[in-house]
Amino acid sequence: MESAVAPTNALTLAQVAASGILLGGVYALLAGGLNLIFGVMRVINLAHGELLMLGAYAALGLFVLWGVPPLLALALIMPLLFGLGLLLQRLLVSRVVRQPPLTSLLLMFGVSLLLTGAAQQAFTTNFRSVPYLSGSVDVAGLALSLPRLVAFGVAAVLSAAVYAYLRWSRWGKALRATAQNPDVALMCGIDVDRARLLAFGLGAALAGAAGTLASFIFTIFPEMGGTYMLKGFAVIVLGGLGSFGGAFAGAVLLGLFESFAAYATNAQAAEGVAYVLLFLVLLVKPSGLFGLREG
Amino acid sequence: MTGFSRRRIVASAAATGGVAALALTGCGGAQGGGATGGTTSDKTPVRIGASVSATGSNGNIGRYQKEAYELWVEMVNQRGGLLGRPVEMTILDDQTDPTTGAKLYEKLITEDKVDLVLGPYASSVTLSASTVTEKYKYPLLAAGASASDIWKRNYKYVFGVYSVAESYFYGVIDLALKNNLKKIAIVNEDTVFPNATATGTAAYARQKGMQIVFQEKYPQKATDVSSMLTKIKAAVPEVLVGGSYEPDSMLITRQMKDLDVNVKMLAFSVGAANPDFQGSLGAVADHVFGPSMWEPDLKTPGNKEFLDAYKKKWSRDPDYHSATGFAGGQIMEAAVKKANSLDREKLREALSTLETTTILPGKYKVDDTGMQMGHIPVTIQWQGKEKAIVSPDNMATGKPKLPMPEWKAR
Repeated sequence: MESAVAPTNALTLAQVAASGILLGGVYALLAGGLNLIFGVMRVINLAHGELLMLGAYAALGLFVLWGVPPLLALALIMPLLFGLGLLLQRLLVSRVVRQPPLTSLLLMFGVSLLLTGAAQQAFTTNFRSVPYLSGSVDVAGLALSLPRLVAFGVAAVLSAAVYAYLRWSRWGKALRATAQNPDVALMCGIDVDRARLLAFGLGAALAGAAGTLASFIFTIFPEMGGTYMLKGFAVIVLGGLGSFGGAFAGAVLLGLFESFAAYATNAQAAEGVAYVLLFLVLLVKPSGLFGLREG
Repeated sequence: MTGFSRRRIVASAAATGGVAALALTGCGGAQGGGATGGTTSDKTPVRIGASVSATGSNGNIGRYQKEAYELWVEMVNQRGGLLGRPVEMTILDDQTDPTTGAKLYEKLITEDKVDLVLGPYASSVTLSASTVTEKYKYPLLAAGASASDIWKRNYKYVFGVYSVAESYFYGVIDLALKNNLKKIAIVNEDTVFPNATATGTAAYARQKGMQIVFQEKYPQKATDVSSMLTKIKAAVPEVLVGGSYEPDSMLITRQMKDLDVNVKMLAFSVGAANPDFQGSLGAVADHVFGPSMWEPDLKTPGNKEFLDAYKKKWSRDPDYHSATGFAGGQIMEAAVKKANSLDREKLREALSTLETTTILPGKYKVDDTGMQMGHIPVTIQWQGKEKAIVSPDNMATGKPKLPMPEWKAR
């Protein structure tokens, strides 16, 4: 059934746009990490959504057990997930880095299943969320969701920090060099193995951060990784594989697009429409809206 | 392809397969739960099969139903079982997936050769599983389903346990009209049960002279409904009714607060009556209405005994899905007694004409399609940390509090 005609005016449209932009925040962190891992290692981390899920449960656990607010928990969860990323890279992923894509896909899919199953056993399938922030903030007549505003802010700051790191720090340049051409990087004296460790760890840490933010905006459940993975891929295609800054822009674009599509039609059609957009981008500019690897 | 080595691919596939297999067993993909007991060990056990969502989008609620089944088995065995034979029940996990549900019932009937079956959770799974049970002529008590589509197919072996989805919000609509609220918005998840709820509610609202200012569906597993809520805000309804399951009921309520969407009366079909709703949302859940098929305060026969036994066995309070599951067992027991047989044809006959009371309000009585007619749902409202039954009058424990205060005024 179609919705009854609701009056549309500039304020309403601005509201829809604001919701869309804020929605993009969490997507951005997730896509950023995914992108980094792919850029440096040519590995598509199919378990990335599960790393987000683990971050979300960690935030939930810290909040429920010791009353740690999620924003503070970030300081604990990011290093933890970083460590987990290092472990995964050292033990598993390093063995498939120079293999055909199918190998790494299979491996990470297996890891994803393992993590989901473990979470189902450990946490049960109940839907939970962290009742941390709620309510709306009035900005120029728009009702902005407070939790989403905060999450967006954090995501933006984290993304900017990683971008700066990649652009200007020594190891950041090493990561970019490895992404461009690992053999030449090796010849230039870059410890490529270490770069890969760093990339995976950093990517995992970003996924953990995304999960921490998601814990108080969305519902947490063991299978949640899957939905975010799809969005993550959509963001990367939109923003350009390998471009970190592009991932953020792509995420905001996806959020905007989903929001407007849901407004114009209904929430159901919006899901499909986002992927139509993907097809179009892939057809017209396969390297994404922001082109090739940069930053 | 350079660097391609078949051996490497096979090795990694095998490794992944091993990992995946480990993960799946860890997942408990097919859980066997046998509940045996009884002192009549010299008779062969009666084997009952069912699948219930233990994981998946409705795993939380499915578990309540599973616990109830297991409790009923324990209690019936304490009474000597069915016709003196102990009852054993196998409960598998269908993950709220209709295709899986159908496959599992097929397996239970053809491979495990169970004697009887009980229904799964959710109308969508029941709709598909009942095709299987109908084929094999196994009477199915739909202890977890209510969409009337289940009874529109001329099936002879499916029996309802509680009110159909279409009637869920009749109590809420009546309350709204009593309080002069005329403009209503209806949203629902696009699956079997919520569609049925929305259709029935819209028809009833229209019939009673309400104005439907907004109606829309949202996808299953939706994570964001802000655009829909923005449209609702613009339409200014007085009542918002959600044909929803637990996760979306919570999502919509939270997002309403975050986007400052205010209505005078808010109701959800599923989840609102569940204790976890208030547990997760806290003060945000206050003033929300919902239909309930059973409440602990009701003075129905055997209800106190059920409550005490459930709390003792499972260390938590039952929700109404536990009660409907338990009632399913009670009805089966009554039918077996009436037919004095475990023959499935005789049971079908008995279930069609049986009238009996259970812990649910009203009584068990079906029409000639097997649809439930005698059950009476109640409407609850969260008032502080407690639920009050606000309708019907003869079962009420409190008065409805209207209108719902604005989010910013709380």
